Amino acid sequence: MQNTRALPLLSLLALAACGGENKASMPAGTASTGGTLVVSIPSQPDNLLPPITTSQAGKQVNDLVYERLAEIGQSLNTVGDAGFTPSLATRWIWAPDSLSIAFQLDSAARWHDGVPVRASDVAFSFALFTDPKTASPAAPLMANIDSVTVRDSLTAVAWFRKRTPEQFFEIAFQLYVLPKHRLADADRARLAASPLATRPIGSGPFRVVRWEPNQVLELAADTTAGRRRATLDRVVFTIAPDAVTAFTRVATGEADLYEAVRPDKLAEARSNKQLVLTLSPALDYNYLGFNLVDAGGKKPHRIFGDRVVRRALTMATDRRGIVANIYDSLAIQARGPFTVAQVSADTSLRPLPYSVDSANALLDAAGWKRGADSLRAKGTTPLRFGILVPTTSVARMRAAVLFQEQFRRIGADVSIESADMGGFISRMGSRNFDTLLGAWAPDPGPGSVRDAWTSSGAVARGNNLGSYRSPAFDAQVDSGTAAFDPAAMRVHFARAWRIIADDAPAIWLAEPRRAMAVNARIVTSGIRPDAWWAGVAKWYIPAEKRIARDAPAASGAAR
Amino acid sequence: MHALIRRIWHGLVVIAIVATAVFVLVRLAPGDPFATALENSRLTPALREQWRAAYGLDGSIGTQYVRWITALLHGDLGFSTSTGQPVARAIAHALPNTLALMSVSLLVAFAAGITIGVVQARRRDRFTDRILGAVTLIGGALPDFWLSLVVLLAGAYWLRLFPVGGASDPLLPLAAGTLTRLRDQLWHLALPALTLVILIAAPVARQQRTALLDRFDADWVRTATAKGVAHGTVFRRHVLRTALGPVVTLAGLALPALVGGAVFVESVFAWPGMGRLAAGAIAARDYHLVVGCVVVGAAMVVMGSLIADVVMQRLDPRATVDGDDRPGRT
Repeated sequence: MQNTRALPLLSLLALAACGGENKASMPAGTASTGGTLVVSIPSQPDNLLPPITTSQAGKQVNDLVYERLAEIGQSLNTVGDAGFTPSLATRWIWAPDSLSIAFQLDSAARWHDGVPVRASDVAFSFALFTDPKTASPAAPLMANIDSVTVRDSLTAVAWFRKRTPEQFFEIAFQLYVLPKHRLADADRARLAASPLATRPIGSGPFRVVRWEPNQVLELAADTTAGRRRATLDRVVFTIAPDAVTAFTRVATGEADLYEAVRPDKLAEARSNKQLVLTLSPALDYNYLGFNLVDAGGKKPHRIFGDRVVRRALTMATDRRGIVANIYDSLAIQARGPFTVAQVSADTSLRPLPYSVDSANALLDAAGWKRGADSLRAKGTTPLRFGILVPTTSVARMRAAVLFQEQFRRIGADVSIESADMGGFISRMGSRNFDTLLGAWAPDPGPGSVRDAWTSSGAVARGNNLGSYRSPAFDAQVDSGTAAFDPAAMRVHFARAWRIIADDAPAIWLAEPRRAMAVNARIVTSGIRPDAWWAGVAKWYIPAEKRIARDAPAASGAAR
Repeated sequence: MHALIRRIWHGLVVIAIVATAVFVLVRLAPGDPFATALENSRLTPALREQWRAAYGLDGSIGTQYVRWITALLHGDLGFSTSTGQPVARAIAHALPNTLALMSVSLLVAFAAGITIGVVQARRRDRFTDRILGAVTLIGGALPDFWLSLVVLLAGAYWLRLFPVGGASDPLLPLAAGTLTRLRDQLWHLALPALTLVILIAAPVARQQRTALLDRFDADWVRTATAKGVAHGTVFRRHVLRTALGPVVTLAGLALPALVGGAVFVESVFAWPGMGRLAAGAIAARDYHLVVGCVVVGAAMVVMGSLIADVVMQRLDPRATVDGDDRPGRT
């Protein structure tokens, strides 16, 4: 099963960081089946079809309802198959040339309607994900997979165009296996309108019992095939758009879990004896991005085209102070375009130092002179620019004010251009901004940096919004993502991060940590940095801790 | 009857104009239905363009309008991209919840408001009037979002008498009986309805008090009293009945205002109604759903106004359904 190039598990940081408080207060008890987990979430899924799901809630439900061929490990290693555990596939065999992998499916696997899961479902799923009509956001991530063929009813073979370190990750993690017999006739251009978008049929540990829009989505443990039955009977998602309401549900015991405790509720969550607060790293970061080109995209930006100015502005900001001010203990300072939970992270990277004197000196040397009003200008070009920020993000709105003040001290005249998310996105997409306060959630794989920060993404419809281009950075990223040896991969990425940190196309601000409040009666295990819900099938409620709602299948849900 | 038909016809024209205006304006606003997830590393602009085309949101506004009208004539309000279901279904889920909340809130709020107004008017300038005046002034001045949070925290967190939002218990067994379901829904309705009652009853009470005091000084009231008609009869027949006119108009206007104005209340109490649906649709630039919600809202404005005029005519025969006073009547 294991690839000869299988690599050791990476980064124990995630494990160390998560669940510190949780484990200490875990109740004792046995893991007998039964019980209900009620999760308070801010919004409902957009749909429940993995090829087109983009919402976080949708992803959470999909991960419980559908299965992948194999599951990524706690370390989030994406190189080779190290750390991956069997899921729908019980084992896999690499071809000698590594250009194909044969996945042996679990013969006991059944769809929630009782039909057996077959290799043809895997081939169908790949075809569905990659069909241009489907327009799946995951399709580009499978570009290296040439095809999936059926060797026999329980063996699917994935064929790759070339041998890469992440080829196993691409087929095993990006592809959810979907029921061919239910989706074969669906209009791929309008999958969201398919009945399965709201009543999915998967093969995962839970199946959807009911979905009342904007109210509740109930999952029940599926026991159709008797394989890997979830310990809990039910997982019920209750939807409350207001953060206070969502938290109050957990604080009163109406819900068992809320994954986004805000800084102003931390003390309350900690003092609530019913709750266990779990802090864990997440896979997203916030940053102030500079637009390096002018509005037409042809010439360098009048201010940020100059690397020295970008470095000066970076050094003028007290990033650690801003993060502490906004997030309390719920974020760490970001060092670059990565998160510490990623295998490509370099936690020893030193960002440009905070030094207002150095920032002033750099600007002076670059010809940006202070005027009578203490604002700087270079010739007839004033050091004046805007910060585009979405009003929907309280944290980013506060960060904009702090940035504005800190830039003012070095002679920059900064305006805050707030816009609702629609307006923010529109200006972002058309590159109509000087700077923007963005948030980014990359995939676990190191290659995910490519679209947002390398030259390949600096095109009209790409995601490199600031149009940062550096051949040296690109080369290191390419080398890093092509490296099979994790040590070599980390060396290349360390160099890449150093280059981009020195070029300062952005001021990386914060990596928010996930603060999750869980009722103390729930025994959690192995909370993965990118998905707390990944291990829910193994969570349990000791018999002595159960309450009325844990009574066996009150809704008649479990089969 | 002709006047009624004319009013209905005018109402349909108003709805068409409003829907068209919103159809255009929402598309002129920055953003698009598939843009809100742009900070998702997997969603490229190219994919969003493809999705726009798949759901008929590409092309010029004129082209989209023709497409929309054609679908509408076939009874199709379009597909809601943010909720992943047809617009008609999304509204069909939300509207009953809003109507339940509205009807209970309006009934209780107007009953309470009119009663308070009557008590105040009959005890004009006395201690009770002054106290109730202060209470209604404060009630009318409270921001709805703040009041919602206070009511939620008081009722659901500090006292723990009511659930923390939602329209029903998510753990209620599917086999629960009708009575159990009704009781559960009323239990969930209590806090949001209380909030709306406070917000609506206050201005109603103040309006009612003012209208009653105006009628107390009217000539026909003085004449009736001089003729020896009993005080209670004078109050019921000549004062209260005519003083209800402005309040009825207020009720007609409150109906649609409640649909839009309950956005905050619905959000705080996680009430799955039209206000929350519309707010979510606007934020997500869900064009078809926004227009669908506006059409429903406009229909309620027209309907509320029509109902108010009909009731007004019943209360005061001088008034007509098309809003003009009859000639020769005073």
